[in-house]
Amino acid sequence: MPFFKSPSAAALGWGSGAAGFVILLLLPLSFLLYRMIQPAGENWAHIQEYLLLGYTIDTLTLAVIVGILSIALGTTLAWLVSAYSFPFRNTLKWALLMPLAIPPYIGGYAYHGMVNYTGFVQRTLRNTFDIEVSQRYFDIMNIPGAVFIFTIFLYPYVYAITRAFFARQATTLIENARVLGSGPVRTFFRIVLPVSRAAIVGGVTLVMLEVLNDYGLVSYFGVQTFSTAIFQTWYALDDLDSAIRLAGILMGLVLVFLVLEKVFRGRRQYSYSSAKVSPLKPRELEGWKKWSTLGFCGTVLLLGFILPMVQLLYWGMLTYEAVFSAQFVSLVRNSTLASGISSLLVVVFAVIVANFTRIVPGWLSTITARFTVLGYSIPGAVIAVGVLSFFIYIEQRLQFFYAFSGISSGLVLSTSLVMLIFAYVIRFMAVGYNSIESGFEKVGRRYSEASRTLGMGWLQTFFKVDLPMIRAAVFSGFILVFVDILKELPLTLILRPFNFETLATTAYRYASDERIQETAVPSLAIILVSGAAMYIFHIFIEKEPN
Amino acid sequence: MKRKPRLLTVLLPAASLLALAACGSDNGSEDSGSGENNTEQNSAEEENAENDQAGSEGGEVNLYTSRHYDTDEALYEQFTEETGIEVNVVSGEDDELIQRMEREGEATEGDVFITADAGRLYRAKEADLLQPTDSEVLNENIPENYRDPDNEWFGLTKRARIFVYDPERVDESDLSTYEALTDEEWEDRILIRASENIYNQSLMASFIEIKGEEEAREWAEGIVNNMARDPQGGDRDQALGVASGEGDVAIMNSYYFGQMLNSSEEEEVNAAENLEVFFPNQEEEGTHINISGAGVTQHGPNSEEAVQFIEFLSGEEAQDDFSEANYEYPVNPDVEPSELLQSWGDFEEQDINLTILGENNAQAQMLMNEVGWK
Repeated sequence: MPFFKSPSAAALGWGSGAAGFVILLLLPLSFLLYRMIQPAGENWAHIQEYLLLGYTIDTLTLAVIVGILSIALGTTLAWLVSAYSFPFRNTLKWALLMPLAIPPYIGGYAYHGMVNYTGFVQRTLRNTFDIEVSQRYFDIMNIPGAVFIFTIFLYPYVYAITRAFFARQATTLIENARVLGSGPVRTFFRIVLPVSRAAIVGGVTLVMLEVLNDYGLVSYFGVQTFSTAIFQTWYALDDLDSAIRLAGILMGLVLVFLVLEKVFRGRRQYSYSSAKVSPLKPRELEGWKKWSTLGFCGTVLLLGFILPMVQLLYWGMLTYEAVFSAQFVSLVRNSTLASGISSLLVVVFAVIVANFTRIVPGWLSTITARFTVLGYSIPGAVIAVGVLSFFIYIEQRLQFFYAFSGISSGLVLSTSLVMLIFAYVIRFMAVGYNSIESGFEKVGRRYSEASRTLGMGWLQTFFKVDLPMIRAAVFSGFILVFVDILKELPLTLILRPFNFETLATTAYRYASDERIQETAVPSLAIILVSGAAMYIFHIFIEKEPN
Repeated sequence: MKRKPRLLTVLLPAASLLALAACGSDNGSEDSGSGENNTEQNSAEEENAENDQAGSEGGEVNLYTSRHYDTDEALYEQFTEETGIEVNVVSGEDDELIQRMEREGEATEGDVFITADAGRLYRAKEADLLQPTDSEVLNENIPENYRDPDNEWFGLTKRARIFVYDPERVDESDLSTYEALTDEEWEDRILIRASENIYNQSLMASFIEIKGEEEAREWAEGIVNNMARDPQGGDRDQALGVASGEGDVAIMNSYYFGQMLNSSEEEEVNAAENLEVFFPNQEEEGTHINISGAGVTQHGPNSEEAVQFIEFLSGEEAQDDFSEANYEYPVNPDVEPSELLQSWGDFEEQDINLTILGENNAQAQMLMNEVGWK
């Protein structure tokens, strides 16, 4: 355990930075746990008797079914574009990521607009083809509808991770199987799926965490999950204690999923069968196979991106004059400001913690890393409850100081952007951290050790040697976090300061006012930025040699 | 690569969180100091506000509102033009705004609280967030039954919870009361949204007052039995459900129906035009109404401007706009409802103290939960 043996200046420096961050991260969460063991709120008995079972069943149904369907869709698509060659394959490779640019809640607005009684689908059937189809088949605001929306907009998590795995790691195994005469179906089920299990499980865990975190879609569809229940008990019943209990149960569910992830990832490792890692050579598809593959991928793209975009653009044209005003500029500014500052902080903290775990490997840094990424698995509504209680507590203790120093005699932190940014950093740390950690992994320790040996100080080494080498990872981490925050809803709704609207909260507000057409312009702005960021990111990844 | 005990590293954080929690300390009530402005306001304007007397040029008023309509925004602009008082708007959900005001306490920036439900006005009053206002203008413009008994809030517009039906499938003579919709003949024919919706809670709260808890529960149970589908969507979706034939009678707010008839989607207008409005319980205690209203906040910095602002909204011009452009019934007796609203006919209103809607809210929600109203 090197940390205790001889703490070098570098280890101490990076270690205290990392420790400071971890403590800051844990404080609000410990508040939550502390309040959870307090006596229950007045409504708890009622919630337990009449509602809890429903919340649990709906939440689990959503998460599990969406998980299964995302695996099916994500791995199939990843396999098709990796192993076969067909028209538009290179375009589809990145285009199939695009549904991820549409947050599920916005996808839900668009789909409800498309398939409701006066929507495009029924209207065309009725007015153009004179066909009356019962609206019952098109009702989407229910659990099956929510499952569809989540799957079609979140499968890219599984797709992206498994495709990257197929392309780099599974090549030799797959090619050997092919050479030995294994058919495509057999290869897929006997070789591809088992070896990429860890990648698939990693992807699907992200999908399920997103489902548990979602508030926008389930509240619009009226599906009763823990997220909506937390909001409702807290706001409508005015019962924070019961809301905290619900948050606690939701955290319990998340922990179960995370433990299951570890179990399902398994311990089996598949090593490369040769030292050379080369990309998989796609097989040319012929005849009907070619067209049906293209048709399948095209349909997914149509459902997951093109159709909702057309609907939003149509609404955008109907309403842009009303929405596109001076206020819109301030929405864009607020969104970029909050996302920008938070992403920057995430990147800085991530570099500190990742550098610490690199310099001082061992159990201590493993735990630090675990804590750092903890926030991503905690649903936004839960973090919001924790952060808010924490800030109120702090601020009460600070009253004396405020009065003494004459800064103010009221609330400073909990009515400012600080609270929201703090929560964003906790929630999205993992996204930045993973990117930067992988950057450090590629660089290793040799260069910085050489630099230290040659007499450079630890800070100097970091800025002159390490940082320039992980520049790309830092940049991609920043982009990923930025996009995630731009789309974020529950935290922003609860913690935003006075008079602070973002693109996401505006879209949400229009939707809850039943003015669905007006959601289009802010929604399109979010999608545009996310889409552009994801495209840049794709180019970036593809160019990277390994 | 050395394998690490992965599971352990997941569980460890959780365990130490618990340990930390054990030495956590008390997190008591949320109080605060007073009067600090800390948001992005124009500070020059704020100084103006302090120097100016009510009624003169300049000054500002900060709204916390859960009404986000274009009509309202146009009225704010008009108010600024007439008085020179800037209107700053914070919009949010009503419960969220109440929470926020409670948290901010004396430090709040909000001068006026505006919401679209009497129950929420009551809740704000109960939480000591509003202050009584003594205004001749308001007393004159707003009839007593649309005001808080202590003049802490004032109704500005009315909405009725009406039936919407398709005259081809339902004969008007078959419709009578909210209660009648629980009869067997309406099985699988009723459309109404989820119980978490405030308008349904207020409807239920009024029944608890009028019929008592037991009968109100039976009513809710009867409605659940006769629902054409699990509750889904908003009020407009209920009317669309009638248009599509999924159900025959929708219980919804009058103003949403006005919005549909004036939608920017042509097809929605077509669908709504085939439907009719019915005011239930005309022979009995009247159709359930709810109000949108406003109150001056307890701790807001610009109370005088706030009163002026509410007076403006109760005036004939504003009331007319609410009715014409937002399809709400005016509270000011001197103002006629818009032509569209008049075309639906006059109706008797449920005559209860609107404060009841707030008092019975929690009970209403719980009763609906108990009978399985999603």
